[in-house]
Amino acid sequence: MLESYVPILVFILLAVGVGIAPLVAGFVLAPRRPGSEKLSPYECGFEAFEDSRMKFDVRYYLVAILFIIFDLEIAFLFPWAIVLDHVGVFGFIAMGIFVGVLLIGFLYEWKKGALEWE
Amino acid sequence: MNFQMPDFSLALPELWVATMACVILVVDLFARGRESAPAFYLTQLTLLVGIWLAIDAQWGRDAVTFSGSYVADNLAVVLKVAMMGLGLLAFAYSRDYLRQRDLLKGEFYVLGLLGILGMMVMASAHSMLTMYLGLELLSLCQYALVAFNRDSRMGSEAAMKYFVLGALSSGLLLYGLSMVYGVTGSLDLGVIREAAAGVGAQNIMLAFGLTFVVVGVAFKFGAVPFHMWIPDVYQGAPTAVTLYIGTAPKVAAVALFMRLIGEGLAGLQEHWELMLVILAVGSLAVGNIFALVQTNMKRLLAYSTISHVGFLLLGFIAGTPEGYTAALFYAVSYSLMAAGAFGMVILLSRRGFEAEEVEDMKGLNDRHSGFAFIMLILMFSMTGVPGTVGFYAKWLVLKAVIDVDMVWLAVVAVIFAVIGAFYYLRVLKMVYFDRVEGGEALQAPAGLRVVLAGNGLAVLILGIFPDSLIAACAAAFGS
Amino acid sequence: MIELIIFYVFAAVLLFSATMVITARNPVHAALFLVLTFFNSAALWLMAEAEFLGIALVLVYVGAVMVLFLFVVMMLDINVAPLREGFARYLPLGILVGVVMVAEMALVVGAEQLDVGLTLTGGGAADTGESNTRLIGSVLYTVYVYPFEIASLVLLVAIIAAIMLTLRRRPGTKHQDISQQVRVRKADRLRMVDLPSERRE
Repeated sequence: MLESYVPILVFILLAVGVGIAPLVAGFVLAPRRPGSEKLSPYECGFEAFEDSRMKFDVRYYLVAILFIIFDLEIAFLFPWAIVLDHVGVFGFIAMGIFVGVLLIGFLYEWKKGALEWE
Repeated sequence: MNFQMPDFSLALPELWVATMACVILVVDLFARGRESAPAFYLTQLTLLVGIWLAIDAQWGRDAVTFSGSYVADNLAVVLKVAMMGLGLLAFAYSRDYLRQRDLLKGEFYVLGLLGILGMMVMASAHSMLTMYLGLELLSLCQYALVAFNRDSRMGSEAAMKYFVLGALSSGLLLYGLSMVYGVTGSLDLGVIREAAAGVGAQNIMLAFGLTFVVVGVAFKFGAVPFHMWIPDVYQGAPTAVTLYIGTAPKVAAVALFMRLIGEGLAGLQEHWELMLVILAVGSLAVGNIFALVQTNMKRLLAYSTISHVGFLLLGFIAGTPEGYTAALFYAVSYSLMAAGAFGMVILLSRRGFEAEEVEDMKGLNDRHSGFAFIMLILMFSMTGVPGTVGFYAKWLVLKAVIDVDMVWLAVVAVIFAVIGAFYYLRVLKMVYFDRVEGGEALQAPAGLRVVLAGNGLAVLILGIFPDSLIAACAAAFGS
Repeated sequence: MIELIIFYVFAAVLLFSATMVITARNPVHAALFLVLTFFNSAALWLMAEAEFLGIALVLVYVGAVMVLFLFVVMMLDINVAPLREGFARYLPLGILVGVVMVAEMALVVGAEQLDVGLTLTGGGAADTGESNTRLIGSVLYTVYVYPFEIASLVLLVAIIAAIMLTLRRRPGTKHQDISQQVRVRKADRLRMVDLPSERRE
């Protein structure tokens, strides 16, 4: 069973090789003359005012967490899709209720305006 | 695994509450007006019908369905009725409190109701998976409710602490459960009971699993040394939420203990007994001694909770049906008293003023002698003065402990109870003997007064006629 | 043999990246190392023939949870330096507690020579030759239907709580209302004025 993953393994090895080889080549072959000025931050010729990172709006977080919830829901759909012929009407209804509850959650978030950015 | 069609009629209470929670969410979404009145009345109706359904569908039964995930028995009924009744009380208290602070939103009722559903799932859990999911459903609702007043710094801080510590404890519990699963090979608590008794605690994996499970349960109870979250959360949360958290979830914790350890790991009793002794003595000591120096009423009640948890654990230590009965009775009667005490804090507060300090109790007798009397009953009951429900709770627990020849434990408990009496009486001294300048009349709304008076009356009546409740608790353990 | 080597490579990278998560100075780097950790554990699960769990780990944790982590890390804009100040101070105490715990565990476990007497009872996919996903599916929606539906309610609570705690209406923001824009009639915007032309004197 694991043999079917051999192409992926080869792919990973290749990807690691392609990623590392240029770095190593650059490290070994390129001339290096480090200096403190080269490492100092450069911003249009004057000293940097502040850290480049800045605060995100909390709304990104809301979008992300709502995404996670529906992503999780979808993760439950995969095994269901495979065994639908096996679990029959009972399994179908079970998933119907599951999705229905989340549909109510979706209705809530829509009506509350959590999907609007303003 | 072969699959049998589950018996849905057994699980009617849960199905009803779950359906109604969704309905209330949608109704509140489309209802006009800011008071969320439909959500409130629908919630109370849901709980009332839920109590009736629980008794009707499950009393006197002993059946397992949903392929071993769900059990319906007397214990489940008593637990569920207590949870829903306390929920009913908590919602009734909260309405005026929330209205005065512009917090009256439908989410409070939906989250509260889903939390109660989580507790009910725990009460009927017959598999570790169901138990854990019910616990998480409850915990998530609690974390959100603590942060309900999101403009309050203290509330957010308390919610954060609660969330981090609660998640940690859930992780510990889950770790323990996975070890138990590894040894016994089943999620079904009935199977685990057989397997664990057969394997015994000589199996190191099972011993580790048991330890982690006990730690997780102790965290949810708030037993020392896992009590750190209780004072901060009780103080930081809006009082209405504190009332909710401080009452019904204690009954849910009894469910957690009984199902996982009392029933599932009954074969390892001699091992968890010793751990519980440490937890109980620690809780009694820390709770009572730290409560002596509190000036904040909510913190004082938090430490008092810890000491009562210590008492409650004594019933589990006995490990007999009588001991479990005593613990269940203790949880229910304590929750009723705690609801009244937090209700008193709500009563004395008003818009823009939280009567959180113990000092705020001063001169209550001059302001309203009726509520001063209710405070007297509540404090006497918490102390355990004979003739109150709190006395019977303590008496049953001590009797159960003495019956299994652990007299020293009973002596320790009584000593700490006497120490604890001091701070309850200090509150009463303020209520009756301290004068305060310009003590104005109470401004509380009529609805709140009625609820609190009813609560006080219930404590009083239970103190005079405790037999029916004791009988119900005893029936839960088949005796 | 080859399987064993692959396992150790993945396990080693996993341990390395997990260590980097807690030692990296930059929280964003720590989050990215966590992604690497998840990928490696997914690979280990694949090797244990738990395909569904492996894929779910990549899908849910790498795809969604880590995005949230990065958002939170960026949102909070934590200055890491002050957080690390206490590290050295508490290190001796932490090490002490750790050593005590390890010693206690060794005392308990060592007596039994680590013989846990564990009998693995869970039936893996290896016994039946069926795919892991199919096995999970065949019980999740029937035998475990009750916990499954409770899971949906847990997710519902997550939705409600997240919206309740973070969604704020901002007064004064200007935004388009498309339906109003579309519904507008000529009469709302355009006023026909009949101006008599001026007569030149």
